[in-house]
Amino acid sequence: MNDTTKNHEPAEESGEQLRTEARLIQQAQEGDQRAFEALLRLHDRRVLALIGSFIRRRQDVEDLAQDVFLKAYLALGRFRPGASFAPWLNRIAVNTCYDHLRKVRRRPETALDDLAGNEKAYLSAGGGSDDRVAARDLAERILATLPPKDRLAITLREVQGLEIAEIAHALGCTRPAAKVRLFRARRAMQATLQRMIRQEEQMGNRSRRSEQNEVS
Amino acid sequence: MRCHEAKKLLEREGGREGLSIEDEALARHLAVCDRCSQAMKVIRLTSEILGALREEIEPGPSFYPHLRERLATSGVGGAGSIFQAWGLARRLVPALALGVLLLVGVTIPLGGFRVPLPVRVGQSTEFHAFSLEELNLPAAVERPTQDQMLAFVLMQDEVRGAGSEVRGSR
Repeated sequence: MNDTTKNHEPAEESGEQLRTEARLIQQAQEGDQRAFEALLRLHDRRVLALIGSFIRRRQDVEDLAQDVFLKAYLALGRFRPGASFAPWLNRIAVNTCYDHLRKVRRRPETALDDLAGNEKAYLSAGGGSDDRVAARDLAERILATLPPKDRLAITLREVQGLEIAEIAHALGCTRPAAKVRLFRARRAMQATLQRMIRQEEQMGNRSRRSEQNEVS
Repeated sequence: MRCHEAKKLLEREGGREGLSIEDEALARHLAVCDRCSQAMKVIRLTSEILGALREEIEPGPSFYPHLRERLATSGVGGAGSIFQAWGLARRLVPALALGVLLLVGVTIPLGGFRVPLPVRVGQSTEFHAFSLEELNLPAAVERPTQDQMLAFVLMQDEVRGAGSEVRGSR
């Protein structure tokens, strides 16, 4: 799990941080914008990382994060004092990402032919390489074929390292429903990768055969 | 170890690098089973590519100034003004609904919603045994008086009584 994510998990928040947070929330609820900004600075990296796991373009990530913070500001009056702020903000961020993902057209299916050269190389090597860009492109390509909620579930679990209960809270569903989404998303991703690897192997075999024919 | 047992372990492991000692049996199975080793490869690859999405992003220099502008133009003087009132109003809706339900619940046993009877017995309203419209009589025919109607009912009773006497004698 990401270290930054870990630091912001409610269970690991120190008492001092919680007290500071509670004070800032109260001040922000009374209309203090500076307190609200200070509150956001405690959570901004986690929110940006969360959005960044769904969207590639840096500018879009920041725009969406601003939308999240604006929504949080407008909804702060309804925030229950004493409740944990991080999951509440998480939920707003997840809902905003969900709305964004719903607008983006889902890819019907990803075939090996759609992959870029570096992605193919990464796949044929069976992963393990340092080409983070290729890995990220491949992940985004496959995730784009999933339904938005399944995509959110697997990203929150595998990228953000959230627990099932936290995912269920963020998605606004029950724990079993979150588990089902996670299972389905994982299965779909594995099936796509399996198919791609098989295609890659078949193509490799074909090229080897043609090379042998040329030599003979 | 069988394939279905290996599959369960693989899913639990989630493709983590390096199998622990407890999973020696799994490692042995993977060495001989192509299908399971392929599945392991896919599970690891899935975890790896998803891991590549983990990225620490810091807000850019224009992030907060732009946010401040947006907050200022959002038309909200403070988080605790109109939006707080809206929050309060939203909380009042269930309370109002509950109040209405309670009112209805109390009023029904007291007879507040009793449907009035078409004929109010004990009042000086005329009791219409039948109406002209029901009998489909021409409008020229006069409406029967109460005495006429009573006579008609008694006559019908006598006819019925006579009928039953005849049946009884048979």
